[in-house]
Amino acid sequence: MFRKVWLFLILFLVGTIAFTGCMTAQQLAQPGVVTITLSGWSNLNEKQLLQKVLRDFEVKHPRIKVKYDAIADEYMDVMKTRLIGETAADVFYLEAFAAPEIMLPGVLEPLNSYISEKFNLADFYPQFLQAFQQEQIIYGLPKDYSTLALFYNKKAFESVGLSQPPQTWEQLREYAKKLTVDRDRDGRVDQYGFALVPELARQVFIIQAFGGKLIDTNGNVAFAEPESLKGLQLLVDLYRLDRSAAQPSDVGTNSAGEMFGQEKVAMAIDGPWLIPYLKETFPQLEYATAEVPTINQKKGTMAYTVAYVMNQKSKHKAAAWELISYLTGQEGMQAWTSQGSVFPTRKSVTDALQSDRNPLYSPFTAGAEYATIWQLNEDLPIILNNFNNQFVSAIIGQQSLASAMKKAQKTANKEIALSK
Amino acid sequence: MAPTIIILGLFVLLPILIALVLAFYKIQILGEFTYRFNGFKNFTRLLNDDRVWIALRNTVEYVAIVVPIQTIIALGLALILNANLKGKNWFRIIFFMPTVTSSAVLTIIFLWMYNSNGLINSVLAFLGLPTYNWIGDPNVALKAITIMNIWSTAPLFMVIYLAALQDIPESLYEAAAIDGASWWDKLFYITLPSLKSVTFFVVVMGIVGTFQLFDQSYIFSRGTGGPDNSTLTVVLLIYQYAFKSLDMGYAAAIALILALAIAITTLMQRYFFSEKAN
Repeated sequence: MFRKVWLFLILFLVGTIAFTGCMTAQQLAQPGVVTITLSGWSNLNEKQLLQKVLRDFEVKHPRIKVKYDAIADEYMDVMKTRLIGETAADVFYLEAFAAPEIMLPGVLEPLNSYISEKFNLADFYPQFLQAFQQEQIIYGLPKDYSTLALFYNKKAFESVGLSQPPQTWEQLREYAKKLTVDRDRDGRVDQYGFALVPELARQVFIIQAFGGKLIDTNGNVAFAEPESLKGLQLLVDLYRLDRSAAQPSDVGTNSAGEMFGQEKVAMAIDGPWLIPYLKETFPQLEYATAEVPTINQKKGTMAYTVAYVMNQKSKHKAAAWELISYLTGQEGMQAWTSQGSVFPTRKSVTDALQSDRNPLYSPFTAGAEYATIWQLNEDLPIILNNFNNQFVSAIIGQQSLASAMKKAQKTANKEIALSK
Repeated sequence: MAPTIIILGLFVLLPILIALVLAFYKIQILGEFTYRFNGFKNFTRLLNDDRVWIALRNTVEYVAIVVPIQTIIALGLALILNANLKGKNWFRIIFFMPTVTSSAVLTIIFLWMYNSNGLINSVLAFLGLPTYNWIGDPNVALKAITIMNIWSTAPLFMVIYLAALQDIPESLYEAAAIDGASWWDKLFYITLPSLKSVTFFVVVMGIVGTFQLFDQSYIFSRGTGGPDNSTLTVVLLIYQYAFKSLDMGYAAAIALILALAIAITTLMQRYFFSEKAN
């Protein structure tokens, strides 16, 4: 008995020493070469592309090695915890949505002093650059952006005699009715017209379409005002009145993209990330994209942007800047955005790539002109949580839209006041 | 002795003390570390925070359903396995399986089955019963987690009951049989009274475990506590405030409330059980 215990202990110790030994040996680098880490999230496809871009960088900067560390899930929570524990990467992704709560003193390195004339800051689209600025301090450089556009199933359109995508929301509503069909007449709809994702991140432009706002000038939540409700009512009507829209969980799917791919809906408003997914998972699907239909004669869509930021606690700031400036510079950005599921934030790169772009992508780039960027202030998580919670109950008809939004607005304002 | 005290102090007492202190502070831990004494503000905030009450209500409702049912099922299974069945070792293995599987894996499997077009709805439809949108409907989402959790934790308590059952001397049953006791008499006058202390243990552990429901509702709602706050539990709320909003002081205050709730229910249990013993 005791011999076994001893044997186990010895093996355990030897193992520990051997394996930790390996780790330290791995980290010992050649003299003069610095290793910096880069954190991000990504799917397999993007990861391969990014690793290729990073290899190009290493070839051009032989004194810098980049260790890429992908965070699989709950990116922002993991990142915040690592920042607090001072184990965060030197360079990492930051979504515009999360930027206001991270742009605090002592977290991110201001980049103003690093940016040279040659870097050509003016080349960036100002709306994306602004998302990562606070009082003239630049905390991050936008690596890319994506917008939302309308995906429509060509075959489904043909089968009900439609050939063109809807231009206005009224048309979309009509089309959605026509496209909602019960093929086998068993009382259960086989194909809905429209995929509804009842999340605030997708709806801000609809709230704004009739002049509504998320917050008023005093910073109080205002999405229950009549102008905001007018926009949201359009979605509720589609779901409750016409029964021509479905949520992902109604048809046993996890996302609007999955619903669209499985042909459970004929139209969906979604991002360009859907294109590679559809190509891989549903290669037979015949679909096209169009700009989001106008609401109240106004064009609108959402834009999501992500920046590279530098950790203020980084030990290799010069090398970290080299990496950021390469990845957001013309060459790196062109390599990164050339495959198309995200779009360059530099005008020059947009121009260079424009010609060889697939027509599927043009509605997204067109949307960038008038899109609402998904960002607000550090209270956005509270606002978003309350909105999502109550909007769902309005959609499924537990309460009227007005009372649901009033409740959400009241709770959000209370929570914001209490959290100060 | 000393090492025990050091380890206990470091990993048990110190965190409790820190949580107690944190609950009275407003802390900024990201970037420049700042803290300021907040008095009872975190606790008054708690009284006004609707989500705390929703979470507490959900959790209490969940505990009140899960604990009695899982205890009865555990006892029932143990009684079945204690009888001399053919191949009872196989049954033990099968009944014990859910406990061995990680709860994260279980939840993901159940998510598949709960899907609107999934196994459970297909079976219900086949039997002519109503089907539900288990994941998306606020009225049934918590019930879905309840069913899943009863199924996965009852076997653990079954094993505990089984061990206790085998400790009851066979001679008691023999004596009862000679006196003409039926199976039910034996159950009510010998088995259940002998199991009292174990039942106390099972109920207390059940309450402590269910009050701390987190992983299932986290995976179920992707960390949001949705739909419509219906799967929001106290621990999930603590997680949201601590790691999503980084409001450690407030999260510590909610944690203290949870600890208080568990302590009170446990004490009530103890009173209830000792009362009956006398």
